[in-house]
Parts: sequence; C-alpha cells; structure tokens
Amino acid sequence: MSLPARRLPRDLHALEELLRDGHLRRAPAISPRAPRAISTGIPALDAALGGGLARGQLHEIVGPAGAGGTALVRAALASATLLGEICALIDPGDVFDPAPCGMDLEKLLWVRPRDPVQALRAAEIALEARFALVALDLGDVSVLPPPRQPRGVIQVVRFEKKPPSPGASPWARLSRRAEKHGGALLLLARAAQAGTFAAATIELERVRAQWEGQQGGPGRFLRGAHVVSAVTRHKRMPPSAPLPLHLPLEPK
Amino acid sequence: MKIACLEVPGLSLVAALRAEPQLCGEPLAVVQAGRDLGGRARVLGATSAAQGVEVGQLLAEARAICPRLLTREASAERERAAAQAAREAAAAISPRVEEAGPGLVYLDASGLEALIGDDRAVARALVAAAERVGVRAAVGLASSKSVARLAARAAAADLTLEATSSGVGGGAFRVVPPEEQREFLAGLPLYALELPDELQESLRRFGLHSLGEVAALPPGPLAARLGPEAALLSRLARGEDASALTPRPQPDRFEEGEELEWDASSIEPLLFVWKALLDRLAQRLLARGLMARELLLELRLADGSWDERSLDLAAPTREVASLLQLLRLAVESRPPPAGVRAVRLSAVATREVLEQMALFGPRGASPTQLATAVARLSALVGPDRVGRPEAPDRWAPFAAECRKFAPPRAGAGGLPAAGPVPVEVSLAARALRPPRTADVRCDDAGNPLLVIGEGALGGRVVASAGPWRTVAEWWTEEPLALDAYDLELAGGLLIRAARELATGTWRIEAVYD
Repeated sequence: MSLPARRLPRDLHALEELLRDGHLRRAPAISPRAPRAISTGIPALDAALGGGLARGQLHEIVGPAGAGGTALVRAALASATLLGEICALIDPGDVFDPAPCGMDLEKLLWVRPRDPVQALRAAEIALEARFALVALDLGDVSVLPPPRQPRGVIQVVRFEKKPPSPGASPWARLSRRAEKHGGALLLLARAAQAGTFAAATIELERVRAQWEGQQGGPGRFLRGAHVVSAVTRHKRMPPSAPLPLHLPLEPK
Repeated sequence: MKIACLEVPGLSLVAALRAEPQLCGEPLAVVQAGRDLGGRARVLGATSAAQGVEVGQLLAEARAICPRLLTREASAERERAAAQAAREAAAAISPRVEEAGPGLVYLDASGLEALIGDDRAVARALVAAAERVGVRAAVGLASSKSVARLAARAAAADLTLEATSSGVGGGAFRVVPPEEQREFLAGLPLYALELPDELQESLRRFGLHSLGEVAALPPGPLAARLGPEAALLSRLARGEDASALTPRPQPDRFEEGEELEWDASSIEPLLFVWKALLDRLAQRLLARGLMARELLLELRLADGSWDERSLDLAAPTREVASLLQLLRLAVESRPPPAGVRAVRLSAVATREVLEQMALFGPRGASPTQLATAVARLSALVGPDRVGRPEAPDRWAPFAAECRKFAPPRAGAGGLPAAGPVPVEVSLAARALRPPRTADVRCDDAGNPLLVIGEGALGGRVVASAGPWRTVAEWWTEEPLALDAYDLELAGGLLIRAARELATGTWRIEAVYD
C-alpha cells in the first residue's frame, strides 16, 4: 500500500527506507504510443494478432508446403509496400515469383542468400538498416542444428574446414535486433524454429484443394485451396480460434 | 581579392607517413634510387627523429649518421593520392581551386568570412581540412598568388609531424594582411625563393640578401643588368602580382594507390593493402560528404600489364568492410593472371542523400542506411543476388530477374494511406530454380498418375488439370515448348509440372503454397 503524497517524508533516507520496504513504488514511465502494426492483409488474422504484425517483434508462420505460408508472407509484404514501407525478403531458396504482382516491387529488396547462415546474417543486416518488414523465407531450408549423435557411436573424424554454423540461438539475436531497430521480422518455416523468441506463432494447415471441372475433362482448373490458420501463441493475446481461409489461384 | 595557397612540403615523406602514420616518431627517410647514382638511393625527406639526415644525402651517408634509420622507397602512387587529397581539402573550403603542381594548390578565399570567419579562421580551416584527409600542409593567405605562396613557405618553418587517425598532421599557416605585405616581403631571405643558381650568385655578388633590398632598387636598371628574371623578382619583392587564379573543375574520381615491394600472388596480402587504401578513400569521401557509387580496381601485374575491373555498386556507400568484401569477391571470381606489383583504387563519387525523416511516424530507413545495407548484403551474398525483383519480359514460367534496388524517396508518392490497404491474398507459387527433373508415369490418355521426384516432390496423383501448351521463345537460342499440368499429390501437395515436347522429360517448376 502506498502512502498519500502529502504524508511523504522529506528526509531522503526515510524515502529510501519506504522504497526498500515496498511502501513506495516508482511510477511507471509514460511510454509513447506504440507504432502502428503492419497488416497481414487478412483482417481476421490482424484482429487475432492484436492489430497485425507488431513492429520490433519476431513473428513466425509455421505450416506444411501447400498450406499457404508463402501466400501469407506475400500478403504481408504487399500490404506493407502498398502503404509505402520499405521491405526486405530474404529468400535463401530462391523461390520468389514476382509475376503475379499485387505489391509494390519498387519498395521490396530481394536477397537470395546461398545458405541458411547467410540468410540469418542478411536478416540481421536488413533489421539493422530499419526495413519496416523483413520476411525470412525458410520454407525450403532449416537452420536447426543436426540431431546430436547418441553416445557410444564411433564417428570418422575428417580434418576439413567446418561449415559455418548458425550458432546456438540465432533467434534470440534476431529478435533483439528487431526490438532495437523497430522492424517487424516475419519468419516462414515448415516447423517451429524461434520458440519463445517469437512474439506470435501463426500455424497453418491444409484442408483441401479446390478444382473446377471434371477430372480428365476439358476446362478443368485448379481454382485455389482451402486452409485453416490460427494464432496458436501470442505474448499479449489469447490463442485464436481456427480461421478458415480461401486462397484463390490466379491462372498462370 | 584573397588567395590562399596550400602546399605540402616534403610530399614524398608526407605520402609515406600518410600510409604508415605510426612511423611519425621513428627515424624514417624516404629514398629514391636514381639512375645517375648508379642504383644508389638518395634521401628525399626524413622525419625529425632521424637526426642529422638531410634531403639530398646518399642513403649510405644517412645510415652512417643515423644507424637506426628506417627507409621507405618513394611511391608515385602514394604521392599522387596525397596530392589529390590536398586538392580535395582545398575544394572542401572553396569551390574555386587551381592545382599548380603536385601538392601545391591555390584557392579563392574571398567571401568566406560569413561562412568560416576571418582570414586566420579560413587558414586554420584549410589546415584542418588537409589533416582530415591525412595530409600535413602549410597554408599561406594573402592578396596575391605569389605572396600567398611565400606565406605558405614561411609557415612551413612552423610545421611539426604528428600521427593522426587519418594520416599525418602538424600543419601550420601564415596570414599576410595587405597592410603588412611590404614588411613581410622585405624580411624574406633570397635563398628561400628557389631562384636559379646563376641569378642567386649574381645577387649575392651585388650584396643583395633579402627581398626588401631588391625592392629598394629601381626595377629598370636591375633588369638591364641581371636579365628578365631579375625584373620578375623585383616585381615580386614589391608585391606586384597580376597572375589570376585559373580554377579547374574537380574530377569526380578519388584515387588511392600503393606499390608493393613484392609480387602478391594470393588474395590475403592484397586485402591488407586494399583495407588501407579503402580507409583513406572513405576518409576523403567523408570529408566531402560524398559516397562511392562505383569502384574501379586497377592492378599492375608482374609482366607490366594492367588488369582493370569495375565494380558497379548496388547502392552508393563508403563502408570499408562492404567494399573490401566486394573487392575480394571480384578478384576471387576472376584472379589476375600474374602476380600484382601495384594497386590503384578509384572511387567514382556521388553526393550523399540526406532526407528529412518522419516527425511522428516510426523511424524508417534513411537512404544512406538503405544504401549501406544493400552494399553489405551484396558483399555477403554477391551483388547479383541482391536487388529489386522483376518479372522478365519473356515467355519463361516463374522467371525472375534482380534489378538495381532504388526505392523512391519517402513522400515521392504522396502521403501514405491512413489505414491498411486491401490486398488480395491468393495461393502463391514457390518457383523451383532450376526446375527439378522427375519421372512421371501417365495413363493411356497421357494424364499423369504417379510422380517420382526428389524428397517430398513425389507421390500418387489424386487430381490434375492440363495440359496447357506453351510454344514460345523459338526466335531465341533457348526455345520453349512444353505442356504444363497442375497436380495434386496424395499428401495434399499442389505442384506445377511440365513435360518438354522435344525430349519428353518431365520437370517440376513450382510448388503452390
């Protein structure tokens, strides 16, 4: 319980004693208004994330191939670039297809690292340069260290240059960089990687593909896919209910 | 009119110490072997720690006087860079600059009072500007070129030698106001003027030892007895100099060079040399508020030929680590055919872009930060793998090209929208570059039934659509003729596969995600 202000002692030592005993507490600093979050392009998902992808935080999209992870990353990039934000896409798999546009490619820096270690370093550089949104697409590569060998297994030791390692926890470093420089980091992976360093985890699941026309007949097309997304973990929000999404396919 | 003269006395020594400032306190002599000396070296300049060693001595004599003497051979590359740095220092103070010779620059100092201050402040700023680019300079400021030059020579007596972070400092200046000009000139000894030996001797025989004594004589008879050079001297002694400043445009290239004492045949020793050169280049660019938009590397090889290569930077930068990495990548990708004897680096400069950031919004990336990041990323992954994505204007499925990243400046497109903009969320293709080859079994009608591919890219086909035939690019060397299918595999994976019409081979071009 705090004392009323008029009864506060003027003696400094007495004040220190009150602070030490917990009778007095320091007033919380008035924090500036949090900057506007970056929209994912899907209003329901934005609501589940508390407004969108918060700046200065790491967000993770986890889902199997075909579940729409790439579509979500593209939508977030489109939403940010169309608002005039400068974004970076770190694409170690070299999988980005610029043809179906929908985003302002002038404001997108596309980086194609040669390996996951380069990809993590590239994401760090992009965050340090204050890109508003840095999307790290690890959909085809993994930065998790290889499983440890069980004890008792004899290994052949080769005296060769060791390949570069991403380190014990690159995500701690990346989330700190994001927080320090105020950029949002969006990670796409097939399995959860960032653990508790992610402010939010969006999980995706395939439901079914949508076809049009008779199998084997003329006029048959792939029209899109139905998937389910959910914010399964968030630092400030409760987990969301499953959010069904329909992802149409533009004819190519 | 006010003219300032910036002179670098002992250019060879300053150029050597600019490259190795840690030797400022050591007994160091810069030597040059002359043909007329039969291969013996002669001292061109020495530090004050090399006591007794004087300019013009033979190296053997100098070593006998100072046994601990360190020597460096005079380097034309270093001297050229130091002279260029001195010119840039002058250009940083005044836009009207005339380079009269290596390490000798005149500049128009009129009208700088409002910007810098009085004459002493201008001269001090010149000395400081020279020190910022690693050059120790003597500065003279007067009402004409010749008096300014004499003032700079008078200031040279006060020069010291100090190691600085960018090279060598310890410059000095002398300002000669118009009312003190006659007095200043009168006190100057004639031996300090570098007159021809014959004229010097004649003047000595006449009993003339200072400019004041020359000024006291009538110019006509002096010229009649000693020739036209004496007439010029007489005019100089009275401070009459009508020669005008002839400013020339500044080159937009900044050069630094180094000659190696051995033939470098691997990348590691070159990295050390490049690092030092880039440090000095970056310092010079910073002093002028510029950035490098292109870097030219010239290597003089052991066979005397030059190996030249140009690095078109993805974005302007002056970050040494990134430029060093780019140089490394450029040389490792195409090593020089012979050992390297000399290195020259030239930076094509561009103005640093400064921009007003948003006052109330989140702080975004400034153009300089973006440029530096692009340069660092280019150095990390290779310049061809960083840029703005673009779909090429040709019939190639899922093709992409990387263009130079040059985002429009903030505010160029008007104010951003207040809220989220509607975007269309659609199934996206993850392109496989290059496409993965696969074995596909089909039924009698040609519809795919089974895909046998790498890893997860295989399985029974549960649904399919196609074929869509594409025949294009037949006018190029890489014609395209294929039937494309959208396939759903048993695990739920959606892929785009295509069969080449010419060979019948199947390839998986993309995965829908």
